[in-house]
Amino acid sequence: MAGGGARGQQSCSTPASLAVSSSDGGDLEALSDADLVSNHLAAGGGGGSIWLQELFRRHYTKVVTWCLRVAGDREEAHDLAQGVFLKAQRYLGSFRGDSKVSTWLYSITRSECLNYLRSRSSLNDALDDDVAEALPDDPESRPENVFEFRSSVQAARALLDRELTNVEKRVFTLHYGDDVPLQTITRLLGLENPSGAKAYLVSARRKLARALQRWRACERLNA
Amino acid sequence: MAEAEARSRERSLLRKALSPSYACATPLELGGLADGSLARPAAAPLRDHVSGCARCQTELTLLKEFDNAAPRPDEERAVSWISARLERRFSEASAGPSPSRTHHGAALPRRSRFMALNVGGFAVAAATLAAAVAIGLREGRAPELAQPSATAPTVLRSAGITTLSPAGDLDAPPNELRWEPRTDAASYSVQVMEVDYAELWSAETHDASIALPPAVRARIVPGKPLLWEVVAKDAAGRGVAWSGKQRFRIKT
Repeated sequence: MAGGGARGQQSCSTPASLAVSSSDGGDLEALSDADLVSNHLAAGGGGGSIWLQELFRRHYTKVVTWCLRVAGDREEAHDLAQGVFLKAQRYLGSFRGDSKVSTWLYSITRSECLNYLRSRSSLNDALDDDVAEALPDDPESRPENVFEFRSSVQAARALLDRELTNVEKRVFTLHYGDDVPLQTITRLLGLENPSGAKAYLVSARRKLARALQRWRACERLNA
Repeated sequence: MAEAEARSRERSLLRKALSPSYACATPLELGGLADGSLARPAAAPLRDHVSGCARCQTELTLLKEFDNAAPRPDEERAVSWISARLERRFSEASAGPSPSRTHHGAALPRRSRFMALNVGGFAVAAATLAAAVAIGLREGRAPELAQPSATAPTVLRSAGITTLSPAGDLDAPPNELRWEPRTDAASYSVQVMEVDYAELWSAETHDASIALPPAVRARIVPGKPLLWEVVAKDAAGRGVAWSGKQRFRIKT
């Protein structure tokens, strides 16, 4: 995997000015990610210095893998990943060293990928298609039976937290909070069950519907 | 009809319930929590929040997935192919200096400066982080640890800009680019690009839309996909948000 291990860590006990003592770049691998950023910026930050190339080389695999999982298509993933690295190159000066470079890159990757998904979902209503496909003729978990009387955000949060498993919460959060299509969630979370995120969405909605039924029954008893 | 309304109501409620709250951690903070580098005063309340927050737990899971991302067998070929293309692209773009050039120059003050400031400045400012956050893909709220030079790239936070048009397949060349305004933006920088990111046109504006000049519209031909993006800037000219690249084309 590119970019892992201690060399990717932010802290480095060796002063960066000593870390670049080789004139042939042979010790590039010994530099931390933060050293590579510092050297690149100290050299002017323009173009593609050897430090920038080395920095990017360490992170190609994780960024590309992520973009591939989001896009589900090689060409689109290439465009996405290229956009991430161009953005990183352009704004490397904003990296302030208070996080790992990989975390900083993740935040750029995440933002680019969400924007990509939003631009695609504006072309067609894939989200509702996802839900409709996931819930064929299932009266128990139709929308009117879920959250019908739960118009409070706080109550919804509490219900989700109490009733759902961790994986179901993640699927719900990505799908409803970030509009991420179910197929993409399946790839991002590495879900290996046959129907991926759809199965978790269906089971979660059934649980919520049942919880609401119990809640209504209690209300009737108390009335 | 009733079902559609119920679905819309449900989606709206769930979106609110599952969107980041003011207390949610940014990706950078989550990274700091995960690797233990987040300053202690900020870490405790944030950790309490994260442990009980579905949104933050999801973000943490994604961050870990990203950090450990290795291609699965069915992804290996595509990842290798893309990585090779990227490596070639960024190697070809290399016109940078050799290591010796930097070595003979001044020491590298930037790193020293931000590492030194990291100890004191970050600890003080981090204590206020939990209460002083904004919603969304928030990043860059940690204290400024190094002053950018006049020539340094702008600070760009990762909050997004929602673009309105153009997007997708169009019947005719768009007359303008439109996006949702941001309250923290004093101006916007827009760029229209070919799919290989070669710039066709760029401009600055104070509004949340800008007209495309006739010369640019003339270059938008049927079937040819193009990209555009907008960067919001604050009064100091620093980037505060970007839209990501939006695709559009005229139907053939």
